Amino acid sequence: MQKHRSSEITASVLRPTTPLDIGARSRRRRIIDAIIDSCAEKTYAATTITDIVGRARISRTTFYKQFDDKRACFDAAIVHCIEQLQEVAAEAHGPEDAPADALRQATTAVIEALAEQPGLAQLLTGDAIAVDPRVIECYRKATIPAIEGLWAGSDGSAAAHSDPRLAFGQAQVLILNQIANGKAHRLPDLLPEIVYLAVNPFGGHEAALRQSQLASESATSGVAPGER
Amino acid sequence: MSDSAEDLRRWRLPRGRHGLPRELVERSQRERLLAAVVKVTASKGYESTTVGDILGEAGVGRESFYELFDDKLACMLAAHKLLVDSLEERVREAYLEEGSWTERMRRALAVTLDWFSADPDTARFTLVELTTVGPAFRPIFQAEFARAVALFEEGMDDDAPKPELAQANSLAVGAILARIYEEVVLDRAAELPRLLSDLTYELLVPFVGEEQARAAADA
Repeated sequence: MQKHRSSEITASVLRPTTPLDIGARSRRRRIIDAIIDSCAEKTYAATTITDIVGRARISRTTFYKQFDDKRACFDAAIVHCIEQLQEVAAEAHGPEDAPADALRQATTAVIEALAEQPGLAQLLTGDAIAVDPRVIECYRKATIPAIEGLWAGSDGSAAAHSDPRLAFGQAQVLILNQIANGKAHRLPDLLPEIVYLAVNPFGGHEAALRQSQLASESATSGVAPGER
Repeated sequence: MSDSAEDLRRWRLPRGRHGLPRELVERSQRERLLAAVVKVTASKGYESTTVGDILGEAGVGRESFYELFDDKLACMLAAHKLLVDSLEERVREAYLEEGSWTERMRRALAVTLDWFSADPDTARFTLVELTTVGPAFRPIFQAEFARAVALFEEGMDDDAPKPELAQANSLAVGAILARIYEEVVLDRAAELPRLLSDLTYELLVPFVGEEQARAAADA
């Protein structure tokens, strides 16, 4: 049943284990899309079950067959967003790329995906902390070991130049600020800084600056002069 | 406990007929309500807090509350603004006085960490509870972030390093915010001042590189 989810390439920390039939899965997916859209429009706090079932075009009974409550639905949406971004990141680079290059490419792909789906960005940076700040720990678990792994020596660990947890929080603050500014579609403007934050913890300041420079060159080339 | 919240809490009028001018009574009621909303929200969470809870804590009547505030949210945001203003005043004082940029930056950071460590309720209210108020959160966050970045820039004189990253200032403010937020969420606000050296390092790296940042952090 639970096949073709490209689970081999992504970390599995947050993967749900309950198998679902196809119909239930698509209903579940519609509900998840609905809560993401509703949170993007009016935040989690203002979203009601009525909003969710209305957008998903399902009954309350169907909702409650899938989820115990709004919070459970929200948690599933977070897991869904993280999985989607992990796939984007994994597909963005190849095994032959050097760690810093791989990380720049993965970061760029993730930020571009977030710009195309601002609802995900809103959910992960804005609503998640409002609902339960501990959720941030989930992303860190899904992200930092994977990043560290790129640089890891034979013992599986890498020396840190600066604190990866802090870098993660900084990236989150910058993204949240961009969204609060109503500029979710311009998230790629932040690429030089986010790439720097991604590379700096294990790659060090100099490598992070180089990658930041590369990211800003590729970002500027896609934008008309004066736009940035 | 931050001084401003402490001052608010001490401000109690004598009971009964005190013959104070109406304006002064209202001012006292307003400040008691602001102190109460901080305390109640920090312990119960914004969503579960009712106007009744705030009234009970403040010892103020419902009618007086609605003369001063439209609703719970307005009361909360007024308290939030008061606290952020008081924090900014302190940081500004420490950051814009004499000294090299690195010294001033470190002092401003120390003042910020002290402010948040002084009272866990105030810290949680200011940083964590604000995120839960719904759509009003976004414009407030954005405005306060911009304000912090502007202050940071204001103190960058000729002596300050010229970072290669265009938005290094946002990165610095983001570092402070992210680290304090995390410690407050984990109920470790009281220990924030211990992070001064580590946070100085993290904040300086994008500006001056690892070696110089380490030297400044250990100074």
